[in-house]
Amino acid sequence: MAADAHPLLTLNDVSVGFGGLRALSKVDLRVSAGEVVAVIGPNGAGKTTLFNAISGFVPIDQGRIALAGERIDGLMPHDIAAKGVRRTFQNGGLCGHLTVLENVLAGLHSQTPGNLFSIALGWPSARRAERAAVARARELLDVMKLGPQAAQPASSLSGGQQRMAEILRTIASRPPLLLLDEPAVGLSPPMRTELGKVIRDLARTDGIGVLLIEHAIELVMDVSDRIAVLNYGEKIADDAPAAIRLNRAVLEAYLGHA
Amino acid sequence: MLGQLVVSGVAQGALYALVALAMTVVYRATTVVNFGQGDFVMAGAFVVYVLVVLAGTPFIAAGALSIALLCAFGWAVYRGLIRPILAGPHLALAMMAVAIGYALRGVARLLWGREVLPFPRVLPQGSFTVGSTVVSASDVVVTGGVVVTVLALSLVFYATALGKTAQAVFQSERGAALVGIDVAAFQGTMWAVAAGMGAIAGILIAPITLLYPDLAAATLIRGFAAMTLGGFGSFLGAAVGGVLLGVGELFVGAYLSSRLIEITSYLIIILVLLIRPSGLFGKKIAVRV
Amino acid sequence: MRIGERRLDDPEAHTVTRPSVLWLLPLALLAVPLVTNDYTQYIVNLTLVYVLVGIGFNVVVGNLGQLAFANAAFYGIGAYTAAILLYHYKMPLLLAIAGAGVVGGLAGTLVALPALRGIRSFYLAILTLAFGELMRWVYINADAWTLGSMGMHVPRPVLFGYVLASEKQKFYLFLVIVTLLVAATANLLRSKVGRAFTAIRDNELAAAAMGIPTARYTILAFAWSGLVVGTAGALYAVLVRQVSPEAFGLLELILHFGIVVIGGLANIAGSVLGAVVLTLAPELLRDLPGYEELLIACLMIAILLVLPGGLITVLDRLRLTLLFRERYHRA
Repeated sequence: MAADAHPLLTLNDVSVGFGGLRALSKVDLRVSAGEVVAVIGPNGAGKTTLFNAISGFVPIDQGRIALAGERIDGLMPHDIAAKGVRRTFQNGGLCGHLTVLENVLAGLHSQTPGNLFSIALGWPSARRAERAAVARARELLDVMKLGPQAAQPASSLSGGQQRMAEILRTIASRPPLLLLDEPAVGLSPPMRTELGKVIRDLARTDGIGVLLIEHAIELVMDVSDRIAVLNYGEKIADDAPAAIRLNRAVLEAYLGHA
Repeated sequence: MLGQLVVSGVAQGALYALVALAMTVVYRATTVVNFGQGDFVMAGAFVVYVLVVLAGTPFIAAGALSIALLCAFGWAVYRGLIRPILAGPHLALAMMAVAIGYALRGVARLLWGREVLPFPRVLPQGSFTVGSTVVSASDVVVTGGVVVTVLALSLVFYATALGKTAQAVFQSERGAALVGIDVAAFQGTMWAVAAGMGAIAGILIAPITLLYPDLAAATLIRGFAAMTLGGFGSFLGAAVGGVLLGVGELFVGAYLSSRLIEITSYLIIILVLLIRPSGLFGKKIAVRV
Repeated sequence: MRIGERRLDDPEAHTVTRPSVLWLLPLALLAVPLVTNDYTQYIVNLTLVYVLVGIGFNVVVGNLGQLAFANAAFYGIGAYTAAILLYHYKMPLLLAIAGAGVVGGLAGTLVALPALRGIRSFYLAILTLAFGELMRWVYINADAWTLGSMGMHVPRPVLFGYVLASEKQKFYLFLVIVTLLVAATANLLRSKVGRAFTAIRDNELAAAAMGIPTARYTILAFAWSGLVVGTAGALYAVLVRQVSPEAFGLLELILHFGIVVIGGLANIAGSVLGAVVLTLAPELLRDLPGYEELLIACLMIAILLVLPGGLITVLDRLRLTLLFRERYHRA
């Protein structure tokens, strides 16, 4: 769990501007395998822009983003996802018209073999690949106790279940890096505890690096190995949770200057 | 020769601009692309035809009635057919607009079949000369008509309460609702305005091109070409795009081939979307996925 | 458990081929020529053509969720390609039909290529509208091949030396081709490809974040649609033995829209139902110019307001689609 010499994700001096605004300003960040790093900050601090930059939805003006040493800034979002960066979305990224099972299967898309012809013609190799994907998806659903809902449209699930299903979809392909965008929104306290356990397991047991945007402070304190604080696009602190709690700059950012 | 092309082109383009402006109004107010706008134009012209030729109404009165009728129709279309599904998928809204357009065209075809109707002679004949350029009276009237319409609408937009409402809703629909604006009533009004503008365009176009149901499709595609060239969602773009399209068509006809006039708008759409999708004044539209 | 329904813990539940039940329909249809005369058989043949049109169009409009106006263009491109290959180059029938499908697929790819530059939603729709209208101009002006606005006559279809003189003879050829293409489409839609289409339709950003190359899949949807609808056009050319520019314009397109909207978007059984309804209805109502157009438009409006999933949802509720339940049925 110690931040080691082989970081999974590195951001060096990353800046992103929109028109005249600097959404991110010279941000450095590292996430290691098996580590949970939370990103917090007031609204508008640039947290979602950070995620969008890492996952390729927003171009960066300056700096470098690398995954396991390989540069990923400038690549298309689906390429970055195929390389192992998966994310959830604030407003829910589930596809409402697909069933829960199909949503998870979609998460396995880039790893499911089969080209146009073998699928259209119904060749055994394509059928085998599909069966294997279904088996893996069902496994995951059972772990989260969503098995009974597998055939239901994703939009029919409760908020908490949808959140879990989305996370399942993102980890289905065993990505080394996971970006969770406010996963606890709308969840009840017991569900948040459950979510915290899931996140810790993903990191500790599966060795996934997790970058987490979250406002729920108890959850953040509970699961994070480190906390990075953004304010007006700049990183103003990056430390263990206990230290962050006492950090003056952080307190000022949240409470305003005295 | 050049001057002649420009003068005639501007007059023609003014009509395209009017169509494009009406579509921009609907788009900015409700984020619906009105694939039926061409049919509003056709319907406006047909109503005038019926009133003048079959009922003997004087032209000005027929024109006013047509505009009023189309406004009411636009409002009704919004309340009855658009609003109920506004919260649903965008595709359904677009298909609804398409279906409404086809329904209007179906009615026209049912009543007039394959006939191409000559529009009543309402525009002043005659012309005058400026240097070596002949400016026809109808050119002046058409351009003047469009300019007057645009000026009137701009006046309303900038100087009246309705205009303030429009500005608010165009900026942020949710924000406008939060401050108590009746968004539904506003959107209905905008559809009425767009239909009315369609009627005006129809009354001005029909004397030139004759009247037939498929006038709708020809008008629609030119409206799209103008909007694409000028930049989707921009009023200035719609106006400029329309005028440039009008001039462009005549240039293509004069310097390349008259066979190509028809496809100028298609080519403009294809070229603009390939080279500079945001057009002249539009916002960046290409998505980064 | 109802017939055709599969249990969720069945490992075969998500295989790419349909259960044998759906193959019963084409087998049953083999008996149709026993009860028809030449005219009613012609209507059946025309319905088969429109089944293919609906299946192809639905992939783009229903599954991918992209408004598109190019379908009549793909139809016309397929018809003209087949006509040109048969008339000018005396190509064998099956090769000409296949050629039409390939050219249709290429046309679909071409139209959707701007997606690679980020062109989507109604901009792409307007592009397809421009393309469709441009094609009609091409039919008229490329008259060295298309013989211009007079149209082209299509030679008698000859299959392996036998002349397909009657509607019943054409029927068997059509049935085989349509069944194969419908099965292939069903395979695609029930696989990762179909899921990708729906994912893009529901949430394109999330789809990209899952590793789905959304531009490429948009192009794929159009290419497949072009292939299927182009083949339909070729069959149409063989059926009516005449192709001309007016047959592939906006009046034809409303029929295509009607098939998928009234039948059921993103639904194979819906496309079939839509084709049946929209081929039979004009036959039952004698034609006045514009009547069909108005009727289809009003039906579409009614469906969009009241039954957005299409008529197939009614049959579903009545449990009549037990045998043909589409695994990926959704409104």
